[in-house]
Amino acid sequence: MSDVHELVLFQLGARVFAARAADVRRIAGPLVEHEDEAVGETALGRPWDPRRGLVVKASGNERTLLVDGVLGLKAVPESDFQPLPRFVSDVLPTGALAGFAMLDEVPTLVVDLPTLVREGEPGAAGPREETRHA
Amino acid sequence: MPDRNGSTRARARTPRSRDGDAAAIAAVLRAHAEGDYARRVDAKALRDPALRDLAREVNRAAEKADERGSEIAARMEAVRVGLDEAIDAMVRLVVEGDLSGTLRLAVSDATLTPLIAGVGQVMETLKRFVKEIREAALQLSSSSAEVLAAATQNENSTSQQATAVHETTATMEELKGASHQIAENAQMVASIAEQTLSATRQGEGAIRAFMESMEKVRRNAVEVDEAIVKLSRRVERIGTVVEVIDEIADRSDLLALNAALEGAKAGEAGRGFSIVAAEMRRLAENVMESTREIKNLIGEIRESTHAAKEASDGNKRMAAEGERLGGAAMASVTGILTGAQGTSDAARLIHLATQQQRSATEQVVQSMGEIEEVTRQAQAGSRQATGASAELARLAERLAAMVQRFKVE
Repeated sequence: MSDVHELVLFQLGARVFAARAADVRRIAGPLVEHEDEAVGETALGRPWDPRRGLVVKASGNERTLLVDGVLGLKAVPESDFQPLPRFVSDVLPTGALAGFAMLDEVPTLVVDLPTLVREGEPGAAGPREETRHA
Repeated sequence: MPDRNGSTRARARTPRSRDGDAAAIAAVLRAHAEGDYARRVDAKALRDPALRDLAREVNRAAEKADERGSEIAARMEAVRVGLDEAIDAMVRLVVEGDLSGTLRLAVSDATLTPLIAGVGQVMETLKRFVKEIREAALQLSSSSAEVLAAATQNENSTSQQATAVHETTATMEELKGASHQIAENAQMVASIAEQTLSATRQGEGAIRAFMESMEKVRRNAVEVDEAIVKLSRRVERIGTVVEVIDEIADRSDLLALNAALEGAKAGEAGRGFSIVAAEMRRLAENVMESTREIKNLIGEIRESTHAAKEASDGNKRMAAEGERLGGAAMASVTGILTGAQGTSDAARLIHLATQQQRSATEQVVQSMGEIEEVTRQAQAGSRQATGASAELARLAERLAAMVQRFKVE
């Protein structure tokens, strides 16, 4: 891991999340939820107005996480990354949260997009079986 | 020798001469001429026989004259007594008023016969006069009583008439005041009616102007409506254009995001690319922000256009309603104008009539004043007539009483 990480900031519902730019293959335009590769409902919730999609590769396929918007990209130093406290990761219903980063002094959750997309697939093992740390 | 009256008669006894005899006879004749018939000539004493005879004739004439004088004296006495009785009878008649008897004198002398006859005729005449005067006095008394009664009644009637005239005059004075008041009120009514007519005409003009304004408002509302429709269509076109712009901006944003993503993945090599992508994205966001503002503005314009359309429709409805109400008001005002014109004409006629009435009432009041004055004078005259009638009745009674004193039967 280099000293600076590029993060994609996106909005899902009322909250803002971050994801590694390397996990995003591209950003898609407005999609409809019934398309095969689209992922709407996840452990983070459902978008209100899915105007963007984050295309990721999971399980050898491209999947598109539907989000309300992509706010941009931001380079964040390594020092601003923090892992989740143990008791927090124990109580969370998903293993897709890699930690949080201080963005403009606001703690923002960093999401492991491939894990999140896999948790949403039919027959997935469940959010807690595979946890990936940043 | 003494005479019949006892007087002493002088006689010439001494014989005288003829001249003396004549002188003696002359002296006796002078005495006779002076009324002394007692003187005699002494014939025996006369020498001359002729003179003696003359003397005797003188003496016989003197005797005759003396006898005649006595007779005349007696008759004169009888006449004097008769005159005294007649005068007494006349005095008694006048004093006692007794005309019932006839004049009878104790002395009967043919000389008094005309006097007695005259006095009797006078008494008869007086009786007749007294009878006539008595009857006239009775009639006068009765008539004066009737006149007094009539005068009293006339005085009462005149007093009642004067009272009635006075009351009528007072009533006419009140009527005069009322007529003045009515005339003033009628003038005021006429003035108000004229003002009402003028105001109604102004109102008619105002309603006509209002209706013209309503017509303009309606036409303007139609024009505004058409302008709103045009504006709405153009806004819709703007909205379509903005949608296209927004779509383009969104795609630009998406491209910029992907470019930035690729730049980020490229690391240090893609930093410049990322900067350009970020600038592109900023521009795209600016465009989208502008299109959002335009959309908001379009939305506001739509809302405003919709409100303007509703307001315009309301204006058209209000204008139509205003025209309808204006027409109704114009019809009403036309009726009011006709009524006001009639009222004004009637008020003017009433004003003229009340002025004539006031003038006539004033003339009546003046006439009543004159009648009252005449009635007052008539009342005073009636009072004087009553007093005069009363005085006449008293005088008639006095006359009757005075005439009653005369006894004629």
